[in-house]
Amino acid sequence: MERYFTFLLGGVWVSVQAAAGALIFATLLGLLLALMLLSRNGLLFYIARAWVELIRGTPALAQLFILYFGLADFGLRMHPLVAAIVGLGINGSAYLAEIFRSGIQAVDHGQTEAGRSLGLSPFWVTYDVVLPQAGRMMVPPFVNYGVQLLKDTSLISTIAVPEIMFRARNLVMETYDSMTIYLLVAALYLSISIPLSQLASYLQARSMRASQ
Amino acid sequence: MTKFWADLNAGFADWMPQLLWACLQTLQLTALTFLVAVPLGLIIVGMRLSSRKPLKWFAVGLIEVARGTPALVILFVVYFGLPSAFPGLSLNSLTAAVVGLGLQGGAILAEIFRSGIEAIDRGQREASLTIGLTPRQAMIDVIAPQAWRIALPPVGNYVVGLLKDTSIASIIAAPELMLRAKDLASSSFMPMQLYVLAALLYFLMSYPLSQFFRHLERRVIPGWRTR
Repeated sequence: MERYFTFLLGGVWVSVQAAAGALIFATLLGLLLALMLLSRNGLLFYIARAWVELIRGTPALAQLFILYFGLADFGLRMHPLVAAIVGLGINGSAYLAEIFRSGIQAVDHGQTEAGRSLGLSPFWVTYDVVLPQAGRMMVPPFVNYGVQLLKDTSLISTIAVPEIMFRARNLVMETYDSMTIYLLVAALYLSISIPLSQLASYLQARSMRASQ
Repeated sequence: MTKFWADLNAGFADWMPQLLWACLQTLQLTALTFLVAVPLGLIIVGMRLSSRKPLKWFAVGLIEVARGTPALVILFVVYFGLPSAFPGLSLNSLTAAVVGLGLQGGAILAEIFRSGIEAIDRGQREASLTIGLTPRQAMIDVIAPQAWRIALPPVGNYVVGLLKDTSIASIIAAPELMLRAKDLASSSFMPMQLYVLAALLYFLMSYPLSQFFRHLERRVIPGWRTR
């Protein structure tokens, strides 16, 4: 049992690395997509819209397999961890783009008008008036996305990233002790995901109080 | 790039019937899971809102555990763990997938139902009790007809998410689209073509489904607003 635990704990570190990498990737791409979704340029808007719908309409597992197995067949062999970060990052970009966009659009248009009539330039209206309010609204769904992402890292065991689930499967092949090992895995995921989702609901409650 | 199209062209006629059949299996798995998740969600939310503390805390624990664990881990516990701990209790992969995903779905739906019920003003319940309805009648005749409209959009999101999550069941070899694509990819050595086809087929199922729910919401929600 203790041996299992230390072995799996090494996987937790890999899972956290993959989740952190994917989170950064998804945030940057998601911000770009959100800007495209809000832009007045029709072409940019439709490209972003199609990207978001396509990514949200297909399973993360299929995206990972295309990136890892599919591209390898065309000569682009990625390190599994890199494929995992890019794959989960691409998957997350679509969700985050919608979170960012709806957060910005949820700020009343009167705020922009008021800022403009006070003589602020469009840039400063966005930076000083809209974004601070939008940001507060985005935080709870952003943290929820983080929880979802952490659970989704279990999928990258299928492309041989040595994270929690991959190590667990190897342990089971050695010991046949599948119930103990998989319950231990569940406990490890819970020990990260429950505090994170508690944080999300705390932030949610706080932002609702702040907006009243 | 030309290699991609040439290979795709060569295999397409052979793969497509198999992949389309697998799409039906994916829809079947989604439907079966949903049929398990809805009653389970109703039971769990009943316990969650119960005034009996043990029931309530049991439901809270179940919800947190089932929602906080990756679906893949739940499937592994059900499919590999159960038969090893209780010999004789071995489920086939399809049943294990329905049980595992259904269990998680029940917890997700319970939270959705709860937020729908709690969004209904307390005064509605108080008024119902005042005019002599039993708590049960108040729930069924007054609160539920209003709450389901609030719950509909997140339920729609859940179903679309579920359709995509059934792909995870391929890892325990439950018959569905991703498994078929994986088998064909390894027998033909054309992973790119097959996984792209599989992704497109998922999109062709999930996009209309999400549009259907959006349509349903538009029909249902105005009726709620006029009240």
